[in-house]
Amino acid sequence: MRTRRALLLSLVWIVALAGLGVCSIIGAQKPLELTMFSYDINPNYTGFEDPIGREITKRTGIKLSIEYPVGDPEERIMLMIASGEYPDLIFHKGAGKFVDAGAFIDLTSYIEQYGANIKKLYGPYLKRMRYDLNDRSIYYLGCYGVDSQIWDVSGFELQHAVVKELGYPKMETLQDFENAIKAYMKKYPTIDGRPTIGLSLLADDWRFLISVTNPAVAATGAPDDGQWYIDFETQEAVYHITRPEEKEYFRWLNHMNALGLLDPESFVQKYDQYKAKIAQGRVLALTDQRWEYEEAERALRQAGKFERTYGNYPIVLDERFKRPDLWDPGYSASWGVGISVNCKHKEEAFKFLDWMASDEAQVLVNWGLEGVNYRVENRKRVIPPAELEQKNNDPLYIKKSGVGLYVYPFPQRGDGLVDPTGNTYTTLTKDFIKERYSPVEKQVLASYGAEMWMDLYPQSSEFPLKPWGAAWQIPTPMNEDFTVPLQRCDDLCKKRIPEIVLADPSAFDRLWDNFQKELENLGIHKAEAIFTQLIQERIALWND
Amino acid sequence: MSRTGEESGQLNYCFEKQQKYKRYFQRLYRQRYLFLMVLPFLVWVIVFKYIPIWGWTMAFQDYKPHFSFLEQTWVGFKYFIELFHDRQFYLVLRNTLVMSLLSLLCGYTFPIIFAIFINEIRHKFFQKTIQTISYLPHFVSWVVVAGIFTKLLAIGGPINQLLLELGLLKEPVLFMAKGEYFWGIVTVADLWKELGWNSIIFLAAIVSIDENLYEAAQMDGANRFRQIWHVTLPGIRMVVFIMLIMSIGNLINIGFERQFLLQNNLVKDYSEVLDLYALTYGIRVARYAYGTAVGIFKSVVSIILLLVANTVVKRFNDGTAVL
Amino acid sequence: MRQVKKGERLFQISLYLFMIFMGLITLYPFLNVLAISLNDSLDTIKGGVHLLPRVFTWNNYREVFTYPNLVTGFNISFLRTAVGTGLGLLSTAMVAYVISCREFVARRLVTALFILTMYVSGGLIPEFMLVRKLGLMNNFWVYILPGLISGWNVFVLRAYIDTLPVSLMESAKLDGASELTIFLRIVLPLCKPILATIALFIAVAQWNSWFDTYIYCSGKQALTTLQYEMMRILQDVTSATTSSMYGINEYNAPRTSPESIQAAITIVVTIPILLVYPFLQKYFVKGLTLGAIKS
Repeated sequence: MRTRRALLLSLVWIVALAGLGVCSIIGAQKPLELTMFSYDINPNYTGFEDPIGREITKRTGIKLSIEYPVGDPEERIMLMIASGEYPDLIFHKGAGKFVDAGAFIDLTSYIEQYGANIKKLYGPYLKRMRYDLNDRSIYYLGCYGVDSQIWDVSGFELQHAVVKELGYPKMETLQDFENAIKAYMKKYPTIDGRPTIGLSLLADDWRFLISVTNPAVAATGAPDDGQWYIDFETQEAVYHITRPEEKEYFRWLNHMNALGLLDPESFVQKYDQYKAKIAQGRVLALTDQRWEYEEAERALRQAGKFERTYGNYPIVLDERFKRPDLWDPGYSASWGVGISVNCKHKEEAFKFLDWMASDEAQVLVNWGLEGVNYRVENRKRVIPPAELEQKNNDPLYIKKSGVGLYVYPFPQRGDGLVDPTGNTYTTLTKDFIKERYSPVEKQVLASYGAEMWMDLYPQSSEFPLKPWGAAWQIPTPMNEDFTVPLQRCDDLCKKRIPEIVLADPSAFDRLWDNFQKELENLGIHKAEAIFTQLIQERIALWND
Repeated sequence: MSRTGEESGQLNYCFEKQQKYKRYFQRLYRQRYLFLMVLPFLVWVIVFKYIPIWGWTMAFQDYKPHFSFLEQTWVGFKYFIELFHDRQFYLVLRNTLVMSLLSLLCGYTFPIIFAIFINEIRHKFFQKTIQTISYLPHFVSWVVVAGIFTKLLAIGGPINQLLLELGLLKEPVLFMAKGEYFWGIVTVADLWKELGWNSIIFLAAIVSIDENLYEAAQMDGANRFRQIWHVTLPGIRMVVFIMLIMSIGNLINIGFERQFLLQNNLVKDYSEVLDLYALTYGIRVARYAYGTAVGIFKSVVSIILLLVANTVVKRFNDGTAVL
Repeated sequence: MRQVKKGERLFQISLYLFMIFMGLITLYPFLNVLAISLNDSLDTIKGGVHLLPRVFTWNNYREVFTYPNLVTGFNISFLRTAVGTGLGLLSTAMVAYVISCREFVARRLVTALFILTMYVSGGLIPEFMLVRKLGLMNNFWVYILPGLISGWNVFVLRAYIDTLPVSLMESAKLDGASELTIFLRIVLPLCKPILATIALFIAVAQWNSWFDTYIYCSGKQALTTLQYEMMRILQDVTSATTSSMYGINEYNAPRTSPESIQAAITIVVTIPILLVYPFLQKYFVKGLTLGAIKS
């Protein structure tokens, strides 16, 4: 009896040990799988099962299993923090909550020990990734391209047909803009049988910021700092809508409405209605970003109506101002990927991130596999025509090839930067943009004596350095004295600005002043003071 | 004498009490199957519905999700005081109650009428087809329905064109930009989307009415309208009442999807509702406590409304309580 | 008599006309969605697609079906709908029956407990913590258990049971039938139409829900539901057209537009649940008599 039991026991042990052995052998061959949460959705994610994903696994032994939020990411984060269940890697857009909860590990020592590539890629900006004055840990690696060049501008858009018809007039101030719209509209009250629309705005939910309030900032020469305007001399922040210059911009919109040049549905229409009007070719002017109207423009291109697509002009309120579209805010480094305290393979995870920052990885994720996605001819990387054709025409190209899939939100070099072989890290070049211009577009540009739209704009070298980077990337404190008044003011802007723009011009000043008083009553100055402090702390942190 | 009397009285009392207990336990024993039937669900309701109520404590804390219960800072009624001092809160409360009442009035009576009408259709195939079609919009999401309505009411939209052609309007009207129309638009959109779906329950109640009752009414010479009045309506009375009471309790729980998708910046004073308010000034700005305070307020209002509705309906229901 | 008949005929005719009108206006959104789902997405942007596609294409559906996991998603959705409806219906009926028994000792307590569930809720965080503590994370039963019974359905059903003649149950009791027998043999068969309706409500809610998958099961691919996968596709397409972050910008080939994908998704997820209806519809016919049960 006893022997039998002993025999059985030893058998169990043998099986268990054998099992363990087998497991460890398999484990050695299987890649290490790290979990990751990503704040932004990647529409082409394949679960690392595309050629580039597999290649990364082959070279690093690591496979990422990335979770993308299907609902509100803030909700997911709240539950993650409440339960303390963090994935190995977290890509955040606002580290505050995670840092408060102690969710991230400090990467400083890892960077010292294993971070050669990261040091090379971020260079002086590593300093900018430190959390704040009190806590100088580095919790994450910035997600945007380092030293990226800006070649592409949006701004104020006008149909090519309008400038062509009017003999390519000077297009610099709101007055020029207005005159062109007015003149063309008078001549052509209908387009393809439908009423012509002068200027159309889009105010559907958050898009209000893009097409209604941000243009006021740009037209008055201020850089994009989110809700804020920061004085260069005093480094004090004000809520940008309170600037007197912007009052004049909205006075102009009010004036446009009184003249009947503003689309009366500007503040009512939904995004799809807005796109439909543009796609019908009857909206003469926009104050929008390309990614918002691009889809409708594509419908116009497809229909061959190239003269109904848009050119971008550096319109400002008056000659005092300079369009800031090409103003480089500098590397801001406030959003990015961090390693969580729950990660069981911190060293491996970090080494993986460091590898992603290497030149080898940068070429792989941007260009793809040599001989498959690109070739090297005379030491130059070129995309073969067949591959390019697919890239341009197959909507599933990224998904199938994996090229471009793992660039963001990992450490990345910006557009235009050149690697030791003399090639750019990314595939986007000026020539690439120019090739996509339609003949009509090229003709319009030639008439204005430019090759690209950006040539019409004040160049980035003309602007001073912004010592605080992009203010909209500064993590906002989870302090209700700051968040609540700000939320209330943002809500009030959405309500009041449309009312004021649509009001009778004689009432404009009174309404605007009331609006400003309301903002004050909601406590905007308190929020401004808090943000000013944040800006100054950031400048101190970056410069010490 | 008196002592014995007292004693016997006590004895009697004890006996009666014992008897009462005995009867009670007998009753319990007789009802053992009922208990067994409901027991698992009692456990279920306590575990899944009542244990999470501990979350209400958050309303009295400066809640931070990464702290454990004992580490939180207690703030007392701070958030309730803030809530009741906020003018915006009264505005959204008004909008919520008005839109809820409108949708109760229409979204409740029309489905009953619609169900009765469907039941009156003689042609079986037609009846089934119409019923199936009528509940299709329920499956179309609010994004799509809101899109259809804004296009319908746009300046160049069909409604404006029709009214212009009929000469009822001289200039096209931007219906969506007028706050005073918003409540009506939401109500109509809601009715349009949910009419068929909401009528299903009433139809089910109607078809369960004993056919003999109709035959008897016919014998008495009642025509269709009288049959509807005297047989159909009383037959579905209980279901109608219970739905009414529960809906009144729900007046404050409006959700915000349809208002949010139909609104625009010009009608915000009419379109913003409590649930969106709780989200905007609660979770969006990481104030879980504030959101929870709104939730508690809603629960209290719901229960009061429910009790009032139950009492009123009891009067109409010949004194029999419905709940 | 003739007067009455004439009036009735008029009523019938106007009824049919009204119903046809209703049918047309309620059919519109669905046909509109169908048309958009079959229309070229760039063409849809121009607006004006109503009942028929203008530029016919299968591309929107093709885009939806390039996604993996749709088959597992469908299976899980089907399973949760079947199990959730079966268990939910039985549970609802049992609770409703028990609280409809007037003499039941704990009746008021049970009633109150279930009424309150409709109006109080602890909020997302406590519910999440509970599910975690119960070990239901990434577990199929999280689709079934937390939402097993809805107070609303319980009380609708109870209201109906209350209208059943008491004599029926009393005579059964005199014949020596147990509570369980009365429940199974008398109450349930008599409630068929209402039960069918409640089954439909539960089934549709189960089929349409995606949020619980997102919160509780997004860590396990084998447990995601069809609706969740569809939400994901919609989000992917939406972000593909607005973000230039992932190397997706105007220099890459465009994806289908969100509006078109939304339409295709609506059709894909609605068709299966629509097929359920005819099976339930047979319970919505008139002619049920108590006589059949009595004997």
